Amino acid sequence: MDVPNKDDLEQTWNYLEQGIEKIMRDLNSGMDIRTYMGVYTAVHNFCTSARAVSTSTQQLHQTAGVHRGAAHLLGEDLYKNLIEYLNSHLEGLKQESSKHVDEALLSYYIREWNRYTTAAKYINHLFKYLNRHWVKREMDEGKKNIYDVYTLHLVQWGSQFFTAVQKHVMDSVLKQVEKQRNGETIETAMVKSIVDSFVSLGLDENDSSKSTLEVYRKYFETPFLEATTLYYQLESKQFVAENSVVEYMKKAETRLAEEAHRVEVYLHPDINGPLMKACEKVLIQEHAGLLKDEFQQLLDEDRQEDLKRMYNLLSRIPGGLDPLRTRFEVHVRRAGISAVDKIAAEGGEKDLDPKVYVDALLEVHTQYQNLVNMAFKGEAEFVRSLDNACREFVNRNQVCKSASTRSPELLAKYADSLLRKSAKSAEEAELEGKLTAIMTVFKYVEDKDVFQKFYSKMLAKRLVNFTSASDDAETSMIGKLKEACGYEYTNKLQRMFQDMQISKDLNDNYKQWLSEKSIKTSVDFSCQVLGTSFWPLNPPNTAFNAPEVINNAISTFVDFYNDKHSGRKLSWLWHLSKGDLKANYCRGAKVPYTFQVSTFQMGVLLLFNDQTSISYESIESSVGLGRDYLDAALGAFVKQRVLLVEPAGSKPGPGTTYSLNFDFKSKKIRVNLNTVVRAEQKQEVEETHKTIEEDRKLLMQSAIVRIMKARKVLKHVVLVQETIAQIKSRFTPKIPDIKKTIDILLEKEYLERLDGERLGYLA
Amino acid sequence: MAGKIILQSNDNASIEIDRDVAERSLLIKNMLEDLGDIDEPIPIANVNEAVLRKVVEWCEHHRADPPASENDDTDARKRSTDIDEWDQKFMQVDQEMLFEIILAANYLDIKPLLDVGCKTVANMIKGKSPEEIRKTFNIQNDFTPEEEEQIRRENEWAEDR
Repeated sequence: MDVPNKDDLEQTWNYLEQGIEKIMRDLNSGMDIRTYMGVYTAVHNFCTSARAVSTSTQQLHQTAGVHRGAAHLLGEDLYKNLIEYLNSHLEGLKQESSKHVDEALLSYYIREWNRYTTAAKYINHLFKYLNRHWVKREMDEGKKNIYDVYTLHLVQWGSQFFTAVQKHVMDSVLKQVEKQRNGETIETAMVKSIVDSFVSLGLDENDSSKSTLEVYRKYFETPFLEATTLYYQLESKQFVAENSVVEYMKKAETRLAEEAHRVEVYLHPDINGPLMKACEKVLIQEHAGLLKDEFQQLLDEDRQEDLKRMYNLLSRIPGGLDPLRTRFEVHVRRAGISAVDKIAAEGGEKDLDPKVYVDALLEVHTQYQNLVNMAFKGEAEFVRSLDNACREFVNRNQVCKSASTRSPELLAKYADSLLRKSAKSAEEAELEGKLTAIMTVFKYVEDKDVFQKFYSKMLAKRLVNFTSASDDAETSMIGKLKEACGYEYTNKLQRMFQDMQISKDLNDNYKQWLSEKSIKTSVDFSCQVLGTSFWPLNPPNTAFNAPEVINNAISTFVDFYNDKHSGRKLSWLWHLSKGDLKANYCRGAKVPYTFQVSTFQMGVLLLFNDQTSISYESIESSVGLGRDYLDAALGAFVKQRVLLVEPAGSKPGPGTTYSLNFDFKSKKIRVNLNTVVRAEQKQEVEETHKTIEEDRKLLMQSAIVRIMKARKVLKHVVLVQETIAQIKSRFTPKIPDIKKTIDILLEKEYLERLDGERLGYLA
Repeated sequence: MAGKIILQSNDNASIEIDRDVAERSLLIKNMLEDLGDIDEPIPIANVNEAVLRKVVEWCEHHRADPPASENDDTDARKRSTDIDEWDQKFMQVDQEMLFEIILAANYLDIKPLLDVGCKTVANMIKGKSPEEIRKTFNIQNDFTPEEEEQIRRENEWAEDR
């Protein structure tokens, strides 16, 4: 057929309709170039025809009157005819569609959709000239409901066909999906095509080149979500009734994964959020109570996999984990408390081994920390619950019943046992691990000042007695404490270390000084010079007349020391000093024995250089020691048979006499006679506690004064709160104690009472 | 893409050109897309051989131009009457040929060529009085003096003063 007369609308349209009909119905058999070019040319020619210009212009003159004389673009007739054609085509489809249901309807819809949209693309190209000129002009002039030819196809599909069939189509889709949820295999590609079609129909009213998801959301997403909710509501209700909670959790997990997969395979990604939310609501939210009730049992049985499952499920709903955290905290606290109860019952409260105690605390912490990491993804909120629980059971348990200071005391003792030289010293790496573990517990200790006190006491002892296992380990531990509590907390500990180093150099210098001055001393002498304010050491609480040899050595050293530093006062801590004596008198010994003795013992034993038998009273007056110390020194000698007591078997005291045992025998060449009495240690612990109380009072006073100095005037209540906040890192002050401290400061006139519960600072 | 395309003018002349040259015409580009590979000549119903050769010449020269996007109606491009040198020379043809090229470009949907053609015409009008324009394009003045006066009054704002 030849290209029609460009001036004749009817002829032109008949020609075009044949081409369009061919494209719509029978594209598969191919299309020849002649027809293609013919249709394009017919559209072009019609739109550029001179005759049409005049008639169309006249019409528009009447209606609008603004196009006077200007060239008007033609095409409205073609556009209208095209709409008519599409409507009648779609009406036919509608009739035909009613013959199909379910799967057949879906495949019918998809087949027709594909055919229609392919045709639309062709026709859009063939009517390109109409698009470029008439349609463009209409749109530029702001005409509504005029679209390019392709969009026009979609619009007509939407209004003429889709509205009529969408419900049936959607019902069929939902049936398919339900089949799949029930375990049957379905043609997922079909559903995907439907989704794509629904999405394509969403056109932006303001800009037809853009698409919106409106149509899809309304006609696909909404019914899809409703059906999903209904399906899982029924299923989960039934499943829960017949199965255990753990089984249900597995089921829910599987279902959620399936739905996520479904989105990936054949749904629009836009549905992911709402679909998951809908599923989470019916599958988790509506059974959250049930899950939570199961939590305790899973904890009791330590079923990590199931706990993890529960965490994963409940973490998906808002606020789902809160009740779990609360229960977890209570559970851990109970576990800690009962662990301590157990060892307290086994070991007895008084003689509790620090290691056993700390290990018990650590075991509980480690177990639940692992659980938090394994099952709860190390989530910060659960870590906090764990911390809260640990803080509770570390500070308040059976062992701490009498005083919360027991925990830090035992912890410090445990640290001491690790850091002190002993037969079973730990390997370097192992030791480091244990120190780190101590810090874990330390973090929870509230009375950090108590730990500090005990730790520094024991550190002092380790240093003075040279019993520290390793400098590296000591430094590492102090580093950890500094990291946890700051510079101030470890300042004194560090100074103690420095003093030790300085003393070492000092002794070297002293030796050099001696040789330079060619001074010969009768004893091999060394000493540590320690700063009074850093070391938790007390002067001896007994008089002592040091032996002359010692006094000579000391006065030489003092000469040397004053040479270097003037104005420093040295006081001698006899009770911490010791020395070696060589015993040349023993008859049965090939090599002379060496006695390791305290300075006090030395004072006693050296008396026997002049006499071989001395009375108690005589010793007492020569040495000048208090009886406690004297008795302890003599006791050790008698016990080891260095001295023989008269009358035999009596305890040291007035009326006894001591003589040197020339037949002394020992398996070892070096004999340690310097054995510390336990009673002394007990006393020390009590003293330490007493100093802690004193220190706390001072700490509170200085905190209050600091605060008031800054604020000048403050309400009583506020002052108490701020004081607590300041001191909390060291220990938890009791409110009555703070009030008492405030009263003391009022008395001392640091503060004054003002009206309205307020306090003022007096400079 | 290396294939050859044969175009057939309405006076039955066949012109063989490279496919990418032919695709400067959106009409042909879309058609090839729709119909796939074809070996028969494409009938170009509205264009004669002389004009078609001219159009092909232009397409050959501009075969490597970046494809202008559909929404390239920027003000700068619309307003400017600048034409590059090659195109100016290309357009040095008699008036009838010029209008034939414009019509062909419009029909074949070659927007850049249509632009060049229209700009050329615009440059011919620029700076001329109505009488000169009438002379240039051989237009009969069919306005009555009254009509002419009215039009002048309505368009006073546009007068160059």
